[in-house]
Amino acid sequence: MSAAKRVQQWAAFARTWHIFDCKWQDPYDSANIIKKYLMGLHKPIYHPMNDCGDVVVCINSKEIALRGDEWRKRAYFHHTGYPGGASWTLAWELHNKDPTLIIKKAVYRSMKGNLQRRHTMERLFIYPGQEVPQDVMQNVTNQIRQLRLVPTRLDQIPEEVAKTYPKVMDYPEDYVLK
Amino acid sequence: MAGLVRAGFSLTRNAIFSTSVRSIATTAQLNLKAIREQTEGSTLVVEGVTVPSPRTELLIRAENVPVPAEDTALSTSEKPPCYMCALGLDVKHTDVLILSQFVRSDGCMLPRRITGLCRRQQKKIGKMVSMAQKAGLMINLTPEKCKKDPTKRREYKKFNTYFDERTIFMRKIPKPEDRFKR
Repeated sequence: MSAAKRVQQWAAFARTWHIFDCKWQDPYDSANIIKKYLMGLHKPIYHPMNDCGDVVVCINSKEIALRGDEWRKRAYFHHTGYPGGASWTLAWELHNKDPTLIIKKAVYRSMKGNLQRRHTMERLFIYPGQEVPQDVMQNVTNQIRQLRLVPTRLDQIPEEVAKTYPKVMDYPEDYVLK
Repeated sequence: MAGLVRAGFSLTRNAIFSTSVRSIATTAQLNLKAIREQTEGSTLVVEGVTVPSPRTELLIRAENVPVPAEDTALSTSEKPPCYMCALGLDVKHTDVLILSQFVRSDGCMLPRRITGLCRRQQKKIGKMVSMAQKAGLMINLTPEKCKKDPTKRREYKKFNTYFDERTIFMRKIPKPEDRFKR
């Protein structure tokens, strides 16, 4: 085996570490993307019996964005097993308790419930902020593209740009500026 | 009898006040005005100053944009489309530079007689303005005592929210289906 072939062999079977920035991302949409990298579905050598899944590091999970009124409408169910032990936690309450849980549960539920799922989840690292431990960060070699553009706030745009931006509406003649 | 008296009252009041009072104006009526307040010693001077519109040079209209001539269906229809329909822009609720043109300095949507939009566009832009404000994207255009920063809001309002523009004209917004349910 030539040296180039040997490196190709290593690269094909090595675990790659990906990073995913959850800022302003829908956790339920991004779970479908993260799942593919975790299980190794993006590789041509994928097989269910083949341990070819990658590692995904999610950062900024505190700043995920839910659609519309889902923060107060989506409920997470838990039952202790005792009579009357059912509880429903709203998404914003869960996010207050642990800002990594929503994305974790979304990825967990996006995968099929088999024996492999718990082991695949071990390869997912979630951090609420930007700080990632050095021993995790030094392995990262790839970034997963975000699904949604992070919106820009109007007060973050410099005033000159906002003033010279092309205008669509003009005031009528008898308008008093407010 | 009482009705007759009331009718007579309103007739005389209309004859005296209606047009004569309203038509008095100390400045030119049809000009864009800015209100300026100055204090000189103990007197407060409030004056309406005629100003040129700051937007006229930057204005974009569909007539001035060169388009491939194929829109024959639009020209044959009786009513000309409003300027936003004619432009055919795909405006999202995150396009704050466009949406901020339709609001006052306190973040209030301008009425239709000022924006000059058609009914559908007025509704659409108005909803998108409120979406942008709920998402905290236009926090410098708000009333004085308002929770400006989304991180300082309470409960579910303090987290990031995005919106789907397709829901604007939906009669009944469907419940978000659970895509992972088996």
